[in-house]
Amino acid sequence: MSKRGRHEGEGQIDMTPMIDVVFQLIIFFIVAITMQKQFNPEIELPNAPRGREIIGDNPRTFIVEVNRRGWISIHGAQLTRDKLRQIMIRRYDRYGQFPVLIRGDLNTKHSDIQSVMQICANAGLWKVSFVAIKEKKT
Amino acid sequence: MKQTRERKVADQPKLEMTPMIDVVFLLLIFFIVTLKQEDILARLDVNRPSADQSSEPPKVDLLEIVVYDEERLGGEGFSFRGRAVSLEYLEKRLRRIGQYSSTISVVIKCEPDSRHENLVQLLDVCAAAGLKNLSVFSL
Repeated sequence: MSKRGRHEGEGQIDMTPMIDVVFQLIIFFIVAITMQKQFNPEIELPNAPRGREIIGDNPRTFIVEVNRRGWISIHGAQLTRDKLRQIMIRRYDRYGQFPVLIRGDLNTKHSDIQSVMQICANAGLWKVSFVAIKEKKT
Repeated sequence: MKQTRERKVADQPKLEMTPMIDVVFLLLIFFIVTLKQEDILARLDVNRPSADQSSEPPKVDLLEIVVYDEERLGGEGFSFRGRAVSLEYLEKRLRRIGQYSSTISVVIKCEPDSRHENLVQLLDVCAAAGLKNLSVFSL
């Protein structure tokens, strides 16, 4: 108690722990952000070098992933077609038209893509887009 | 003058740089290891006109291309006006068509067994030809 408020010398503050903590924080955020963005890594996208480039992130965009076995997922979470139908209809009721992107594996059968397109069409979304690789890095 | 400055520097307590440098190098290594440049993605817009009702496209003057499973039926997986064609041929034709009208309707019919890659290749060719009115139907 008696020492409270009394400065113990005017020595330089040690910066090292603070810098360490700051860098740890930076690492944490970078890792968290990239994890958030990650899509199903097992989906191998087809190539379309002359397609229109996707610029920016439209927050309204709805991305459906279809893997080679025809399983569908949203943000890495697998779901049934009934569930997707419910989500689509509810979202359409609330927001109206929104862009739908389909990330289909190049070996996916068209029938599996078709069912997703059909769900979109039934919900009232008659325009869908397929995602393809325009330019491959590394 | 020079002497006083030197003395001043010597008086200040030294900032320990080594741990910070360690951390910075760790960070550098971390980024080098984890950095993977993201691919540039393209979007290929299509229409899906059928909402349950008539799944048949209207019988107007349209370009109709069928995408099928090339492993089962041979060829390259595309047929145009009833015969199997290569993607290069299609590109040549579609480019010529795209030159005088980019709004002409292109109807793409896909067999259930066809691979998604074939459809995307065809959409890529259509995009290169400047055709924008693309509809995808399923057989």
